[in-house]
Amino acid sequence: MTAETQAALSLRGVRKSFGPVIAVAGIDLDIAAGKICGLIGPNGSGKSTLFDCCTGLVRPTAGQVLAGTTDITGWEMARIAREERLLRSFQKAVVFRALTAEENLILAGQMTAFRSLAATFSLGPLAHRRVQALRARAGELLERVGLAHMRHSKAGEMSFGQQKLLQFASMLMPEPRTILLDEPFAGINPVLIERIVENIRAVNREQGVTFVIVEHNIDVLSDLSHRLVVLSRGSILADGNPEDVIRDPRVVEAYLAG
Amino acid sequence: MPGIAIGGRYAAPQVAGGVLIAACLVLFPLVASSYQLSTLIVSMVFLLPAIGLNLILGYTGMLSLAQMGFFGVGGYTSALIAMHFGTPFWLNFVAACLVPALLAAPLAIPALRLRHTSFVMCTIAFVFIIESVSKNWVGLTRGDMGLSSVPRPRIGLWSDGFIVHTTVQYYYLGLLLCALAVAALVAIVRSPAGRYMIAIREDEILAASVGGRTWHYRLAAFVLSAAFAGAGGSYYVHYVTVISPTVFDPSYTNTVLVVVLGGGVGTIAGPILGSVVFVALSEALRIAPELRMVVYGLVLTTSVFAFPKGLIAPLTSALRGAVQPKARGPHDR
Amino acid sequence: MLQNLFTDGLVIGSVYALVSVGMTVILGVLGQINFAHGEYYMAGAFAAWWAIDRLGLSYMASIPLTILIVGILSLAIGYAVMQRLVDVSFDAGIIATLGVSLLLQNTATLIFGGTYQIFDGGWLEPMRVFGEDIAQQRVLIFLVTLVVFGALEWLVRKSTFGKQMRAVSQNVECCHVLGVDVRRVVLITFILGTTLAALSGVMTAPITINIYGAMGEAITLKSFAVIVMGGMGSIGGTLVAGWVLGIMESLVAAYVGLQFRDAVAFALLVMVLMWRPSGFFSTKARY
Repeated sequence: MTAETQAALSLRGVRKSFGPVIAVAGIDLDIAAGKICGLIGPNGSGKSTLFDCCTGLVRPTAGQVLAGTTDITGWEMARIAREERLLRSFQKAVVFRALTAEENLILAGQMTAFRSLAATFSLGPLAHRRVQALRARAGELLERVGLAHMRHSKAGEMSFGQQKLLQFASMLMPEPRTILLDEPFAGINPVLIERIVENIRAVNREQGVTFVIVEHNIDVLSDLSHRLVVLSRGSILADGNPEDVIRDPRVVEAYLAG
Repeated sequence: MPGIAIGGRYAAPQVAGGVLIAACLVLFPLVASSYQLSTLIVSMVFLLPAIGLNLILGYTGMLSLAQMGFFGVGGYTSALIAMHFGTPFWLNFVAACLVPALLAAPLAIPALRLRHTSFVMCTIAFVFIIESVSKNWVGLTRGDMGLSSVPRPRIGLWSDGFIVHTTVQYYYLGLLLCALAVAALVAIVRSPAGRYMIAIREDEILAASVGGRTWHYRLAAFVLSAAFAGAGGSYYVHYVTVISPTVFDPSYTNTVLVVVLGGGVGTIAGPILGSVVFVALSEALRIAPELRMVVYGLVLTTSVFAFPKGLIAPLTSALRGAVQPKARGPHDR
Repeated sequence: MLQNLFTDGLVIGSVYALVSVGMTVILGVLGQINFAHGEYYMAGAFAAWWAIDRLGLSYMASIPLTILIVGILSLAIGYAVMQRLVDVSFDAGIIATLGVSLLLQNTATLIFGGTYQIFDGGWLEPMRVFGEDIAQQRVLIFLVTLVVFGALEWLVRKSTFGKQMRAVSQNVECCHVLGVDVRRVVLITFILGTTLAALSGVMTAPITINIYGAMGEAITLKSFAVIVMGGMGSIGGTLVAGWVLGIMESLVAAYVGLQFRDAVAFALLVMVLMWRPSGFFSTKARY
């Protein structure tokens, strides 16, 4: 059971301030590999900024971010995705609207199929075979999330819920290790929420992918997660079993007051 | 949309249409007057930098107004090499693609830090700086006088070969170069790198989140667009056999913009159509330059609101309707 | 000699500032760069030339008429084009205004001919200022610029319309909620900005003497350099940046070579963009 004790993602004293505003006030956190960890907190508690720090969108003011044992502090987002297979979703920007569903997935899979920059410019038979392999895998994944019938539809023409499903499928393309989801259930109907939840569980169970999920829908999240972390004003307020955490009086107060 | 169908195969009607148009263009000199051919040569001169602009604006989403600067650099390079070393055309042409590309790389380092309006302004400034160099480096460029009696293109492997001099020969040379350029654009756009470029156009941060080295692909688009522009400069300078700093006049930049946007930005066929309609046709109709520019102005402004996808969009949808009016199976869009 | 260069640069710089500040307020409110801005400067010069040469009016009388003509022109273009640019991407805005620029520039060439026209007007007698002989027109340009900038600062900071301008520049969606008529604010700001360019054109024509259809092009491009240096949206910054550019140009023309004068703006532009992408006097820099 070494895999359980190893951390997929570790934060060591991560701080982020924007001028005088402190968004993340020194957080230490280890996310165990192969687990689903929920992250909740009132608006402005630093959840999104924490994601940004982990995935290289912003550079922490202080502290370290480790993926496994690799120090990824200060890496660019694209490098973290390529080399550590640490992927994230965004609340608003979901998919590439001008591309078809299938092309969205192929694009997401390119980071593993084409390692070097030069390889991406090649059009030879090898490159063609790799793209064909990605296309086949894209077909399987679309099947899996129930979007096979929309394979050749432009992503921009799909409903928001379908786009979120597509986004989820595209994150599975490069054989991810860790996935950070930013409000995956916001703004979509309960049927699709259920479908995404099932897929998260299945991917976690079958492939051992670690998930960190920011979400306001606490009922769904506490049911799905192995562990729940509560942020408030840039610090960890509570951490532990979902059932215990949501009964914690400090958490209840932070939510009612916040 | 032809340009977006990356990776997948082109549909049969698209291929058939392309072959048909190509055949017409190849056979055109049999029926055309030399005046008509020379107007098409002018449109091919503008098509080459337009293909570069299409790559950077249409597929990568960066508006660069530096195309005619690199066009001029390509033209000067090609002319100077031919004049000093008597080299064959293919060598001049390759140098005319490489030198602007090599110049674009260091210019891109500061420019790529900028986005939106600042990037556009920076590219405008590049043209003026290049123009200023061409005016003041008299020893090389002969300043405002420019270079004259540039050799005509010599088609041969090294020391001999035949000299292109009739309009028909220039026409076929242009056709060959444009075909190569279009093929290169298709190859770039349909490669995995092209997919990343389109991703950057759509959303740069999202493109980085799927592992795209966004800076590198923006650099590649800038450098490649400069190479396309340089190719146009080489063809141009060996056709008109003179070049001077007037090549950097903003009106030429505007023409390239009209070709791309009026034709259809982000599509393969759009700028080709645009170069024929907005350059050759307006020349052939003998529209006075001022009147033509007034028309260009109207085209640019209305294209933003009325037909943002250019002339090609209604044309392709009409063709699609004519070719496949029935049989809308589940796999059609 | 040096003092002369400074006063020359200051006057030319005032012209740049006067044109550019119009572009800056339009940029601030609309979030779009007006590539046709120099064309209103050109239109101002031509309207005044027409009033003097064809209608036989005095230079003094031609100024309000010019403002009126260009005001009507920009009202039409504001309705047809600028108001629609509120929620359009920046590159679409550049292309649309570039189209307007081509339209105006070449229409002027069609009407007034492709050659230079001689502008005959203005007050060109020298007057003594600080022991130097300077044409009255130049002194006037400098003074008018100071007055205009003072008035603009007051307008933006103190007046009700200025508050609306700032509201639109900060958040268009909020304006819809608060009942600020965004399209009206955009239109009025556009007319204000373009008539300032026209005023600059009519004030400068007596000095430049030659006027022609494409004269606005160089002014547009220099205005880019000025507004970037001025911090894109700062009124005071624009004035200082205009002066800096004017003085630098006249120094370079005298000590480096006349042929390098026009490159100064672009060299400065690139340097400023490299060094501080948001300009010397960046305030909020909406772009």
